[in-house]
Amino acid sequence: MEPEPVEAAHEPVPVEPDREPEPEPEPATLVLPEFVPFDDESSAASLETTDLPPAAGAVAMKRPAFKGAPRKRAPVIAQTVHDPASPVVLNISGLQKSFGQTVAVSGIDLEVRAGSFFGIVGPNGAGKTTTLSMVTGLLRPDAGTVTVNGIDVWANPFAAKRIIGVLPDRLRLFDRLTGAQLLYYSGVLRGLDDVTVRQRSADLATAFGLEDALNRLVADYSAGMTKKIALACAMIHSPRLLVLDEPFESVDPVSAVNVTEILQKYVASGGTVVLSSHGMDLIQRVCDHVAIIVQGAVLASGTIAEVRGEQTLEERFVELAGGRKVAEGMEWLHSFSD
Amino acid sequence: MVAQFLGLKVRLLANFSRRSPWQVVGIVIGMLYGLALAVGLFMVLVGLRFTGDAVAIRDGMVVAGSLVVLGFLLFPLVFGIDDTMDPRKFATMGIPTQRLSLGLALSSLVGVPAFVLGVVLLGTVVTWSRGVIETLLALISAALLLATCMLASRVSTSLAAFLLDTRRSREFTGIIGVLILVMIAPVVLLALNFDWGRYGLDLIGGLAGILGWTPLGAAWAVPGDAATGLWGEAVLKLLMATFTTYLLWLAWQGLVSRMLVTPGREAQARQYGGLGWFDSMPHTPMGAIAARSLTYWRRDSRYWMSVIVIPVIPLIVILPLSFAGLPVSYLALLPVPLMSVFLGWTLHNDVALDHTAVWLHVASGTRGFEDRMGRLVPALFVGIPMIAAGSAISVSVYGDWAVMPSILGVSTSILLTGLGLSSYSSARFPYPATKPGDSPFSQPQASDTAAALIQSFTFAGSILLSLPALACGLLGVFVDPVWNIPALALGVGIGLITLVGGVWAGSLAFERRGPETISSAIRA
Repeated sequence: MEPEPVEAAHEPVPVEPDREPEPEPEPATLVLPEFVPFDDESSAASLETTDLPPAAGAVAMKRPAFKGAPRKRAPVIAQTVHDPASPVVLNISGLQKSFGQTVAVSGIDLEVRAGSFFGIVGPNGAGKTTTLSMVTGLLRPDAGTVTVNGIDVWANPFAAKRIIGVLPDRLRLFDRLTGAQLLYYSGVLRGLDDVTVRQRSADLATAFGLEDALNRLVADYSAGMTKKIALACAMIHSPRLLVLDEPFESVDPVSAVNVTEILQKYVASGGTVVLSSHGMDLIQRVCDHVAIIVQGAVLASGTIAEVRGEQTLEERFVELAGGRKVAEGMEWLHSFSD
Repeated sequence: MVAQFLGLKVRLLANFSRRSPWQVVGIVIGMLYGLALAVGLFMVLVGLRFTGDAVAIRDGMVVAGSLVVLGFLLFPLVFGIDDTMDPRKFATMGIPTQRLSLGLALSSLVGVPAFVLGVVLLGTVVTWSRGVIETLLALISAALLLATCMLASRVSTSLAAFLLDTRRSREFTGIIGVLILVMIAPVVLLALNFDWGRYGLDLIGGLAGILGWTPLGAAWAVPGDAATGLWGEAVLKLLMATFTTYLLWLAWQGLVSRMLVTPGREAQARQYGGLGWFDSMPHTPMGAIAARSLTYWRRDSRYWMSVIVIPVIPLIVILPLSFAGLPVSYLALLPVPLMSVFLGWTLHNDVALDHTAVWLHVASGTRGFEDRMGRLVPALFVGIPMIAAGSAISVSVYGDWAVMPSILGVSTSILLTGLGLSSYSSARFPYPATKPGDSPFSQPQASDTAAALIQSFTFAGSILLSLPALACGLLGVFVDPVWNIPALALGVGIGLITLVGGVWAGSLAFERRGPETISSAIRA
């Protein structure tokens, strides 16, 4: 399967000032202006995009190579939301994990195509975080495979991790670093060079409204700000796939709108977002695909329209997740104790 | 209400057994230790019932007992223990203050310290059962003491939690800990050099005379005074002890009512300019990890505490030896190798100190080699100048520059083998460490037996591997200066080989065990 070349409707992607001392200043509102889906050699078999004509501003170019191997840049993939021809970016099959007697994930299969905004919803303890941790290489599965862009995450972790951006839930950050240091650290660990990291850090800080907080320790941040800096760290290396666990938890509404907008632009330029959330409204509004996970298994997945049918997503979710318990026998709550 | 609090505390204790088997083993060992201590002390106290000198027993008991009360008062303040029964956790439940404070105070009776204290106090009742009134007084003062100690630890735990609530002040408690360590050293020295046989009883008698009239020792002195016929003093001291307990109870109540309406405070956040170490280190993953480690060594009390303690250790070792009459010239050779042992050892659980933040290294596919090397940089930054300057000072005090190669070789060997072993053990065997932001003296719940094994293995390992250099060094100092050069060669050689081997094995372990490292951090 081949990604289509970019259509004229899409904005030209600025050429990445690769290893040049003076990068072009870029508008701060465009957060991932340098988003460059790129190929890894190991994925070339499944994605032969490198020799496509550089349509509509997408320019083939080199990236800073990790092991000296030149890597070519793929053209930006034209994104049409329901296009079944988009390449599969994330493929999960037969994923299983149990902790002792407790089965957390019992055989999950999912397929996420390039350029989709994929929401994973489920009740508390359904195995969302466990699944996303196994996808991002943070938790070893008992069985099953995860491939990102054709690369097996558990067989070839170093290549796979390079193209994944991760926002884990409930894991600490190196919070004795200032916001600026944490961004820099994340960027350099991802193999970006000094100049690029500094410039992207500034862009991300502006886009997430963190400029004033950059010189404070992350330990002193509020919960929402911590979430935002972690989100910024997750996308600093312009990954092909962003895996975000509860990205909007404790983020204020204004920031949530900003972040959503950033993610939508990222998706529009060919990136893929997989996020988990409790907010059905948000999923329904933002995502184009959704999977409902209950007790470690996928009960429904597809486009939002397919999954929800005639109902709202919330109604459908409550129905699948075991139905609403009618609040009977709670009459005492209506006669107040004082 | 009280029953519910007691039940809650029992369940909190019982739930520790739901953690990993090793931790359970640790808890069981701790409990057995407490039980053995309690039984041992009880037997001693029962034995004292049948021996003569009531004055000596009373004086000894007053001094030891005062230390116990002081311990209950100071321990939580200095070490900042994690309070599972913090009054603020019950703030939203609308329980009347008096009942809440009573319930919380009584719930502190459930636990190993209270159990040991209770058994020991029963022992004192036996010791003083030399007459009906003495027994009665002993029973009353034992009850008062139990209440006093429990209330004292409750008050100081809450004060610590209340006053030292901000992150920065929590770290500050570590400094108090170091100061106490430094202050204890001369006291221990004095105690070691004191002629106990001749003046011991007089000293204890004098101390007991003073402490018996303080809140710390009054209750301990009551039955003893009665047994030695000082009835007037016994009654006065009993009044004093009662009053102490009552005051503590009032203080505890006041503190609870105050805490219920005072949520945690926020510290003023400080601004830092620029990228700090990240600017001056190479802009590569290894350089960034080194910069991050250096930043943490300066900013995180868990790191700088261990660095501050390192120069204190030789002091503690050398002072008693010099009092014992060893010549200063030989002692001057000790500090640098000693400090190298501890510096090499500081990194042996480095990955666990990151806690779950290490996910960033795993998720970004950081190479093990880069991670291992970057983390070594701060220790080398401190270690190389320490060995160079320290050896020069040592040798100039010793007076013969011929031993310079020996001391360099031994110290280098110890530091490098320590770092090599640490590089491997921190990647392969991380064990629960103090969490980021906690007081550096607070240990995670039940440091387990595996942790003790890893600690002793890495600690002893560097010394064992340095034995060749050490042997040559000793020969060089005591037998023939010819041995000094082999000491340097062997030390640097073995050190480098161990370091390379440790980093290599550690890199493999780090890369292979990334997910397991995160899992163990989550469990910790």
